[in-house]
Amino acid sequence: MNMQPTRRDLLRAGATAATLAASAPLVSASNLFAPSHPKTLITIYLRGGADWLNMLIPWKDRDYLAARPTLAIGEEQGVVPLDSKFALHPALRPLLPLWENKSFAPILCTGSPHGTRSHFDAQDFMERAAPGMRNIRSGWLNRYLTQTLGENESEFRALAMQPLLPRSMRGDFPAFAVPVGMNQKKSSTTLGQFEEFYGGDPMMMGSRNDEQVVQSGKMTIDTLRRYQEIVKQAGVRDAPEYPGGRFGDRMHTFATLIHAKCGFEVGALDYGGWDHHIQQGAEAGRHNQMLSVVSNGIAAFYKDLGSLSENVTLVVMTEFGRTVRENGNNGTDHGRASGMFVFGGGVRGGKTHGDWCGLESSALVDGRDLPVTTDFRDVMNAILEGTFDFEAEKGFFPEHKPGRLKLF
Amino acid sequence: MARTRLVALLLLLAMPSVASAQISVGEEELTDRERATHLLSRLSFGPRPGDLEALLEEGIDAWLDRQLAPVESPYIEDLLSRFESLGMTSAEVYDTFDLPEEEGESREERRARERIRRKPREEMLQASCMRVVHSPNVLEEVMVDFWRNHFNVSYTKGGPANYLLTSWDREVLRSHALGKFGDVLAATAKHPAMLHYLDNSSSRRPPSKQELAEIERDTRRRTGSRDQGEAAVQLALQRGLNENYARELLELHTLGVDNYYKQKDVVALAEVLTGWTYSGGRNGTWEFVFRNNMHQPGDKKLLGKRIRTDKDNGVVEGDRVLEILSEHKGTADFIALKICRALVSDEPPQDLLKKVAQVFKKSDGDIPKTIRAVVESKEFWSRDAYRAKFKTPWEFAMSALRITDSVTDDFSSVLRRLNEMSQPLYQCDDPTGWYDTAESWLDPGVMAFRWQFSLDLASGNLGGVSIPDEFWDAVPEHIPARLWQHHFTKLILPGGAGPRTRNALSSTTDSYLAETNLPEIRELGPQLVGLLLGSPEFQQQ
Repeated sequence: MNMQPTRRDLLRAGATAATLAASAPLVSASNLFAPSHPKTLITIYLRGGADWLNMLIPWKDRDYLAARPTLAIGEEQGVVPLDSKFALHPALRPLLPLWENKSFAPILCTGSPHGTRSHFDAQDFMERAAPGMRNIRSGWLNRYLTQTLGENESEFRALAMQPLLPRSMRGDFPAFAVPVGMNQKKSSTTLGQFEEFYGGDPMMMGSRNDEQVVQSGKMTIDTLRRYQEIVKQAGVRDAPEYPGGRFGDRMHTFATLIHAKCGFEVGALDYGGWDHHIQQGAEAGRHNQMLSVVSNGIAAFYKDLGSLSENVTLVVMTEFGRTVRENGNNGTDHGRASGMFVFGGGVRGGKTHGDWCGLESSALVDGRDLPVTTDFRDVMNAILEGTFDFEAEKGFFPEHKPGRLKLF
Repeated sequence: MARTRLVALLLLLAMPSVASAQISVGEEELTDRERATHLLSRLSFGPRPGDLEALLEEGIDAWLDRQLAPVESPYIEDLLSRFESLGMTSAEVYDTFDLPEEEGESREERRARERIRRKPREEMLQASCMRVVHSPNVLEEVMVDFWRNHFNVSYTKGGPANYLLTSWDREVLRSHALGKFGDVLAATAKHPAMLHYLDNSSSRRPPSKQELAEIERDTRRRTGSRDQGEAAVQLALQRGLNENYARELLELHTLGVDNYYKQKDVVALAEVLTGWTYSGGRNGTWEFVFRNNMHQPGDKKLLGKRIRTDKDNGVVEGDRVLEILSEHKGTADFIALKICRALVSDEPPQDLLKKVAQVFKKSDGDIPKTIRAVVESKEFWSRDAYRAKFKTPWEFAMSALRITDSVTDDFSSVLRRLNEMSQPLYQCDDPTGWYDTAESWLDPGVMAFRWQFSLDLASGNLGGVSIPDEFWDAVPEHIPARLWQHHFTKLILPGGAGPRTRNALSSTTDSYLAETNLPEIRELGPQLVGLLLGSPEFQQQ
């Protein structure tokens, strides 16, 4: 017997919540939902294979300096030491206060047991937490949401701050892809026009092919209206300055949603463009600029949250790291292990986690790449456990029994 | 067998009295109207008004023959003649639109210079849209779009991309869209746009001992520093192989991910392709050039084969590899999969894939023959394939413009909307190109932008685009206002409308009629059309 809820069941569940919410003014919505999950998890995915070796830097390692004649970040480039072994790229300096108050835990050499250097496959395998397996269609975040179905009825439970869901959020649970950039006033009229069309009795489907489209449409209307009302209140709140641009805006919106106590539990944000095969730049240049956006966004986010910070976990990840040695074009090529940055209350911050094997050729994979010493799934498991007190059921990570990681 | 069926179909369609009869072998068979709808959904960006009837009249066979051997359309060429950059070589584009920075130029002058610099890209995007909406060679446009994604290059790469994509679109995509796969593959591998996009243009063999000694000596002499000399040597040692293109050539363009090749093949291919670059800059030709001095000498081993070099003309290695890849079974399988996914369904049946791969291989990668194999298959015409594909934002927007007979003098607004829907034309960062499956595009919440587009287009609020009077005037005078919905439904949803859509249309009609004694087509019409374009049925093809 299939115990998994079907999309139809989930839609009905959603429909009930939406109907209830529709009859109550927004102000009391938070009471209505009284989320039993005041905790939130935000995942930031740096797409393209970010060069972690230049983010969390073995700054005194001679092999590092020799491998990267033009890209190495040393004292001359303004490296920001965390301890005697590792330092941050100068553009990540805004994260230093979080390290100092022990709410920033960098994890070394995380990655996948699967050696693919293909962006598509690596992201796919990672977001579905099923390396090498092509028959798993759900994302790890979606599996969490599905396994804990019913614990949080809020329609804002899972949001991706972009017009398309990342793979990690795809699956049976209806996570919402926010159509960012949509003009608020206009969309209100639009939603009104299509409300009757897509709303109403979920049983009145057209052909089988239309079913998913109708469900998508329904969510658009129900969730978007209320989402826009919440976000409008952002102007009222006194927030710190976020970096300009999309990343900053979206971090700001996440903070707004958390302040609104509307049941927002899982968020995802993509930041692309990290595939620096040529002219990556060391302390200046593209990699540096992008790191600055990320660190300032995260710093502003936690400052904005204030006392709510301890309920919010944030994790930054990428599909793979890059080659230890720079290539012939002042860039780096696809590698293996990268790293992960975890932030938040409850995290054992102020120290690095994971194992470091050094950069001697013999320690490297194929003589060129950082070896993976912590399976990314173990980090995901630790994050879900530490944030939500969640125990993954058997098969949550297909063909894998997560190792224990003392992250929280 | 399939051929006989098609001929029978043609005969049936040619007889007007039987034209509306069902070809029923079982109730799963598509009606001829459905077949025509299906064909136009997959082999074009959707029908324009009248296309369905014209197809029923012409017959599928004749239509297909004509579309697989397109002739240049004077109408389109005329429409596009306003875009001066379209016919230019890359060098001409560069010389014309890249004006050098002047000393002490004002901010205004710099802005003007940048506006000029952006022109080739703007014209490229406008022309691409214009062709999709207006060209009678609809299948060619579908295939150009297919190869555009398969061999993805993007303006977002920056730099020279701005000048290179004009010739890429013309010489690579359009020249070969309905030709042979081997030819299009070879064309991509030697076009500066691809070599730049995937960083092959700067990939080179590591320097020899002699070269290093020269570098050390020259730098030491120039700077007077031994340290600097050594540093220069270190740097030169770092200059070398870039694997990016070699990997994607195997993974995305020919064999498919991790099929038949290993990491060592990627490296070997990267070595084969060293020296495959182009001559850029202010004095460059902006065309492919093979630089022997960048090329890694010696024979290579790739996919278990020995690739013999020619020490005076190392380019032959790459030519040979491209041949091997074009003829490889893995390539036939992969291209068959991609074409079937585009034309049939997101998960095409195995039998069909085998059949199509066979035809591809036997015909030496003949694209029209491969397409025919798909269109002649029973899988293509099965009810499982009918209306089974979800339109990508691009397909949605273009099909909406087509079915409303829209006249567009400026696609900028349309292009902006495509950005919002996460599918900016010619700006896909990922070398995989835009994906072709519902899974990639259909998420909860995506409908908002499509609805907005639909309403704006229908009500004349989509900048640069207008629905002509003829479209509204085409509603026959004798039809009462309460039945206008059927006229538009028949046109926009030839596959029929479900109960939800029908209800929405009725209810809109009723509300409108309750408020007026003199119904105006130009008042109610846009409301109905807006709803139809935003309907779940219109999102399918």
